[in-house]
Amino acid sequence: MSDPTSNPFSAVEPNSDLLSVVLRINGASHALQIDPRATLLDCLRDTLQLTGTKKGCDHGQCGACTVHINGRRRNACLALAAVHEGDEILTIEGVGTPDRLHPLQAAFVARDAYQCGYCTSGQIMSALALLQEPCGPGDDEVREYMSGNLCRCGAYANIVAAIQDVRGQS
Amino acid sequence: MSASHSAPTQASPMNVIGRPHPRVDGALKVTGAARYAGDHYLPGMLYAVPVGATIAKGSITAIDAGVAEQMPGVRAILRRGSFPPLGRAELDMSSADTTSILDEFRPPFDDDVVRYYGQYVALAVADSFEQAKAAADAVRVSYAVEIPDVDPALVAEKMTVKSERGDAEAGFAGAAVTIDQRYAMAPETHNPIETHATLAVWEGDALTLHETTQGVINHRNVVARMLGLPAEKVRVISRFLGSGFGNKLWPWTHSPLAAAAARTLGRPVKLVLSRAMTFQSVGHRPRIEQRIRLGATADGKLTSVRHDYVNATSILDSYEENCGEATPHMYSTPNLRVTAGIARRNIGTPTSMRGPGAVPGLYALESGMDELAVALGMDPVELRLRNEPSIDEGLGVPFSSRHFQECLRVGAERFGWSRRDPRVGAMTRDGLTLGWGVAACSWIAERFASNAAVDLRDDGTARVACAIQDIGTGTYTVMAQMVAERLGLPTDRIEVALGDTRLPAGPVSGGSMATASLVAPIHEAVAKAGAALIAAACAAKDGPFSGSRPEELDFVEGKITAKTGNRQAMGFDTVLKALGMPAISGSGSGTGTFMAPGKPTVSKHSFGAHFVEVTWQPETARLRVARTVSVIDAGRILNPLAARNQIEGSVVMGIGMALFEETHYDARNGAPVNASLADYVVATHADAPAMDVHFLEYPDTSLNALGARGVGEIGLAGTAAAITNAVYHATGVRVRELPLKLEHLMS
Repeated sequence: MSDPTSNPFSAVEPNSDLLSVVLRINGASHALQIDPRATLLDCLRDTLQLTGTKKGCDHGQCGACTVHINGRRRNACLALAAVHEGDEILTIEGVGTPDRLHPLQAAFVARDAYQCGYCTSGQIMSALALLQEPCGPGDDEVREYMSGNLCRCGAYANIVAAIQDVRGQS
Repeated sequence: MSASHSAPTQASPMNVIGRPHPRVDGALKVTGAARYAGDHYLPGMLYAVPVGATIAKGSITAIDAGVAEQMPGVRAILRRGSFPPLGRAELDMSSADTTSILDEFRPPFDDDVVRYYGQYVALAVADSFEQAKAAADAVRVSYAVEIPDVDPALVAEKMTVKSERGDAEAGFAGAAVTIDQRYAMAPETHNPIETHATLAVWEGDALTLHETTQGVINHRNVVARMLGLPAEKVRVISRFLGSGFGNKLWPWTHSPLAAAAARTLGRPVKLVLSRAMTFQSVGHRPRIEQRIRLGATADGKLTSVRHDYVNATSILDSYEENCGEATPHMYSTPNLRVTAGIARRNIGTPTSMRGPGAVPGLYALESGMDELAVALGMDPVELRLRNEPSIDEGLGVPFSSRHFQECLRVGAERFGWSRRDPRVGAMTRDGLTLGWGVAACSWIAERFASNAAVDLRDDGTARVACAIQDIGTGTYTVMAQMVAERLGLPTDRIEVALGDTRLPAGPVSGGSMATASLVAPIHEAVAKAGAALIAAACAAKDGPFSGSRPEELDFVEGKITAKTGNRQAMGFDTVLKALGMPAISGSGSGTGTFMAPGKPTVSKHSFGAHFVEVTWQPETARLRVARTVSVIDAGRILNPLAARNQIEGSVVMGIGMALFEETHYDARNGAPVNASLADYVVATHADAPAMDVHFLEYPDTSLNALGARGVGEIGLAGTAAAITNAVYHATGVRVRELPLKLEHLMS
């Protein structure tokens, strides 16, 4: 477990305004001192420097911050970090690494299922959840299930193709 | 989804140019390991949140920061007077190293006058984001309020002739068939999913910015001027960019503000804009009103083209949306007149948005052409084929490479256009009414001046460096491809360095010009590195080429070869090892063609045609874009995988432009009221149609040795017109105001 005062990037002095929480992220426990107002998204990024999870709108409208909480996809910007003690949180950093890609990540590379890459973590976290959800086999169904994740570059066709590759539906 | 290629060009030795190549940075993007500007954290870093004006016209009478300054963690509430006034950057387009271009010239905190909603009036800086946000919300600003002008009805201050030939008025008056229509387009906001971010850190009198920019060199030069620093004291880094579509081309006011805050407080400062702020203070495509007048003979030969347009701009800046860019060269006509004007509004400064000028301009022109085809009772593909120019009649010079007619013919074939019943509402499928529409696209093909450097290393790898950016278009990959092809290496042996002003100066990533700009400098850098290796090998006392003369040797595909004789070629790594040299370098440079002085001798443009099928269900008022075919003539395609993605992404954005996208400004306070991704609707997964993209692949070597033009923007041109033309075919309703709304179709 990490030391709660070990964040070298935080200018915030530990004080009574902060909450002590333990968050389970990607299988590891992190003892943290956090602002009670902090969203899970800002906590992941600003406190833990887990910057693979992106902020696109901060209002639950774009899906760039999608993570899994207890196996279900959630917008981390709409979750308060402090209420997720005891929950299993999975972020893109827990899915695969550049040297060991998850098959879904490899499919995104092969299909060019991105352009700028900024929404990509969220797309992959949603797609990873979709694999376990009761989504029908067709491209249209995948499109509906993925429509909470905006890609302004418009790489939608390739994203659906990558997901269908992994589902064996292409 | 499909893509294919005709007219295949000669395969390169390594088959690395012109073949689908997954991105070399892909593994970083899919794992979250790619670090964007806002992903950087520094010890002692503070968070800044701007306070934006809540009026669009008036002046600040007081700023009460008393409460905010006492809140936990707050370091400062900065405002005008908190630091020395920032300077005004001047326009400079003289060279790749010194370019200084921006759209909003007024430095932040320059005076107390408010000219648009969201103009920064203060900046809260605190130890955490939560503290800074709470403090910004607690700042109380008093204003002397005036009524803003955000009127969407545009009247130009004056109209300026942009292009003219013949007598457009007489050609129109004498035409057998005419159309005279007005087309309006709502303001669009770019909305890249990454909002703008700046992390400013000072070391002594030197500044480093981790920045969301499509042009690190330009950004450096502008910010240096505003801060009163020599350019070499500023470093700008943008290794990954969450796209921009133009709103990260030129610096906006938050960036010098973050730098000034960091200097004032002696700490690194991170400033990330909220989504709402990106609707206010980082540009947008403004509202545009256009009038198209076309005259033609009874057999469909154009006798007159008139194109007049007005765009909104801000109070202080004269942004012009160059809607007539494609009009003079698109079709043959003896008589033509294009005029432009601007109208000032209390709205933030507009900026380039993907395909600025030509995209809205071709929406109007290509809608007009469809209306003319209907008036003539002629097929709209045939009408366009009949008006093919043999030269660029606007410039009076030949085209470098124009295959627009083939785009139309190939597209019609792939789409099945010959089965089109021209009668409105006559085509149905599965109970749905079908509409089929077509429109042309065109985009400039130019290049910017650029430099590049290449290092050959004794481990058999190479490094290519340029202070250019990869905004999502695949620049990392295409740079690796270019070097790999010259050196006969696979791309995984090539390291690409970009997005840092410490690298050889490169251009902005804009205008679809990055790839074309890189070819000459990279080729020269490879050749120079090879020549340096030959010189070193010849000069060495003891080595494989000792005693040879440089003119006897060549550097081909990464190997030194003798021009005569059958001596075995030797790879650069082997030569370097033999010489005991870890690496050898070469640098190259290329000239720019964009806005170069003098009259061009050739007209360089890309072309294309979009074919669209919409389905219309009148019972439920459900309109869908079902499928599209896009045939693009953009020179040689260096990476078809990334290029197809660009065109598909543009078509998706075109669906948004046609059907969804509109920024609404509140007439009472000038606020963009739908400043969120819930209320400003962009196309989602569910809106994406089946897309067929086809490239013609005629290399255009007027721009560079590889024959590549650019593909980042052309796909957006024409898409909206093809959609509204298809909607007319399905419904008989001609929508002349974007975005199309269901009430247009139900009235």
